Amino acid sequence: MSINRRNFLKVSAITAGTLLGSSKKVSAETGKNSFAETYSMLNDCTKCIGCRACQSACKEYKEFENTGKNEKYDMPLELNANNNTVIKLYKEEKEKSFIKRQCMHCNDPGCVSACPVSALIKQDNGIVTYDKDKCIGCRYCMIACPFDVPTFEYDKAFPVISKCDFCKDLLAKGSVTECSRVCPTGAIVFGTREEMLKEAQRRIKADPDKYVNHIYGEKEAGGTSVLYLSAVPFEKLGMATLDTEPLPDMAESIQHGIFKYFIPPVALYGALGIYSLISKKKDSGDNPESGEG
Amino acid sequence: MKVNAAPINKTLWTKGFKAGVIFIIIGAIVTLNRLINGLGAVTNLSDGAPWGLWIAFDVVIGIALAAGGFTTAALVYVFNKGKYSPLVRPAVLTAMLGYGLAGFSIVLDVGRWWQIYNPVLPGNWQGNSAMFEVAICVMTYLAILVIEFIPTLTEQWRKKETGFLKKISDFIEPVLNKIIMFFILLGIVVSTLHQSSLGSLMLLAKYKLQPLWFSPWLPLMFLISAIAVGFPVVVVESSLSSRTFKRKPETHLLSGILKFTPWVLGFYLILRLWDIVYYGKLSLLASKWGLLFAIEISLFAVIPIILLSLKSYKKDPSKLFTVSTLIIAGLMLNRFNTYLIAFKPRPGFSYFPSLGEISISLMIISILFVGYKILANYFPVLEKE
Repeated sequence: MSINRRNFLKVSAITAGTLLGSSKKVSAETGKNSFAETYSMLNDCTKCIGCRACQSACKEYKEFENTGKNEKYDMPLELNANNNTVIKLYKEEKEKSFIKRQCMHCNDPGCVSACPVSALIKQDNGIVTYDKDKCIGCRYCMIACPFDVPTFEYDKAFPVISKCDFCKDLLAKGSVTECSRVCPTGAIVFGTREEMLKEAQRRIKADPDKYVNHIYGEKEAGGTSVLYLSAVPFEKLGMATLDTEPLPDMAESIQHGIFKYFIPPVALYGALGIYSLISKKKDSGDNPESGEG
Repeated sequence: MKVNAAPINKTLWTKGFKAGVIFIIIGAIVTLNRLINGLGAVTNLSDGAPWGLWIAFDVVIGIALAAGGFTTAALVYVFNKGKYSPLVRPAVLTAMLGYGLAGFSIVLDVGRWWQIYNPVLPGNWQGNSAMFEVAICVMTYLAILVIEFIPTLTEQWRKKETGFLKKISDFIEPVLNKIIMFFILLGIVVSTLHQSSLGSLMLLAKYKLQPLWFSPWLPLMFLISAIAVGFPVVVVESSLSSRTFKRKPETHLLSGILKFTPWVLGFYLILRLWDIVYYGKLSLLASKWGLLFAIEISLFAVIPIILLSLKSYKKDPSKLFTVSTLIIAGLMLNRFNTYLIAFKPRPGFSYFPSLGEISISLMIISILFVGYKILANYFPVLEKE
């Protein structure tokens, strides 16, 4: 859908000689936005034992630097430019749970809406990709992301934005992501979004006492490709409580209102010009000459 | 409009000027460090707090305070209040320097600055992004301000006997006189667009911005507050240059120009209060955020509206200066609140500007003052006494 949206944008931008509009509503009508067939991942926190095999495999595959204090290993507490996935531990008296943090690959991502240069794109297969050759490093994606995901190389002279890309090159070869491949407990499952939602529902139904009855990511911010199951309420795991409305909806509708077919700015220009002529006649005594110099 | 301005032609090398030059040298060293070693070497920015002092102060506040340029242009050219025309050139100069410096700060702040031209390339256009709109409009408006400033340069150069500058000025000036109105109007439109877009930027920070500062009406609020601060900036700029160049204050113009300000501030105040009532945020006023909100709105709107309604305030240049300073301080607090103070960093992170960040901002302010002084000294910016 993003491809359509971008092409529409480009075409209309060129026709109008300027920027405008999105075809989001159009593609919603044609039903292309169901996201049933997009790549998806189900993270089952109840199955995670915190071994961090996923974290290491991700780091190795992406050839990230070890920036930890210890020379032998890196133990990041948060996502950072050298760790696109981290396992976090929540612990409180008797309750305990791990959670795997990473890019959620939202259905309608805030970062993609924010990016001024189309460096972040929602692909038709569901992956939110990043193109460093377009990126100017403004970090607006980091401001916009409601899941606090994108990170930035603050210690580099030529930095990039860093975030999980679902191992897109492996997926293209028909393989799965590195993290889901190495997980020893089946806590990370990979497939299409429809399959993952069904699997999540099946797991909750099979053991309703174990799970909280909530598939995180099914509806949050318009839905995400990465889904979560947990025995502990998600807010305790540090997952933001979000509406079902896609994050860009409000911002984009306001932005498009201001620029609707470029009518408001052109109308303002016209009004200013006309008023200027009228008031010049009226005030001709006060201001007989016009033009600079 | 008749312009009757002249260069100041006084000595530049004063104490304040020297201090400015020192700040510029320090800032230049920090700039080099930032370019060689990355943002982390000089800033306290982090994954949890991606935007800091440079975005909030140098860019967002800088652009809001440069609103004196388009508001004065509108007053004189659209509303044809010709008596304020002596204020246009200094306002355009301040705005041009302000936008130029905001652009420079953006280059320093973005991580991949060597590709800063990317928003211009049609293949990258992203019309959904308020940041794209800001990028395009700021570039366009800076170019327009340079065009609006050219007559000030050509007027001086035409006085030369011979030479390249004289020839080119003799050619440009009559041409520019015929088309300048097109650019002036375009400048006003482009200003309204990106002043509001600076508010739109924060619409995507819905879950991170303290609700007293988040509103779907942010674009309108940013536009109105920028319009409101335009004339007070002109007052402060005029008062400061009267002091610096030891000229008589332009009191009759300054009291007149502030006559519109209480109405704009009043509209803004109503909009902010309506937003809080309509979106059910009243209970939040009884918190430390409520206190911060009260301070901001008092500085920016409530106190200035009251003061400007007093008769004694209309004829006293130092009082006009004071009330304008209050409005500017209120606007700065509003932008700081929206972009830094009321913006929630990621869990486990916090932000306070580093010395390196502060020294760059001091450099920016210094370039503004030093640049203004040099240009007003050698070119006809200020009205003849």
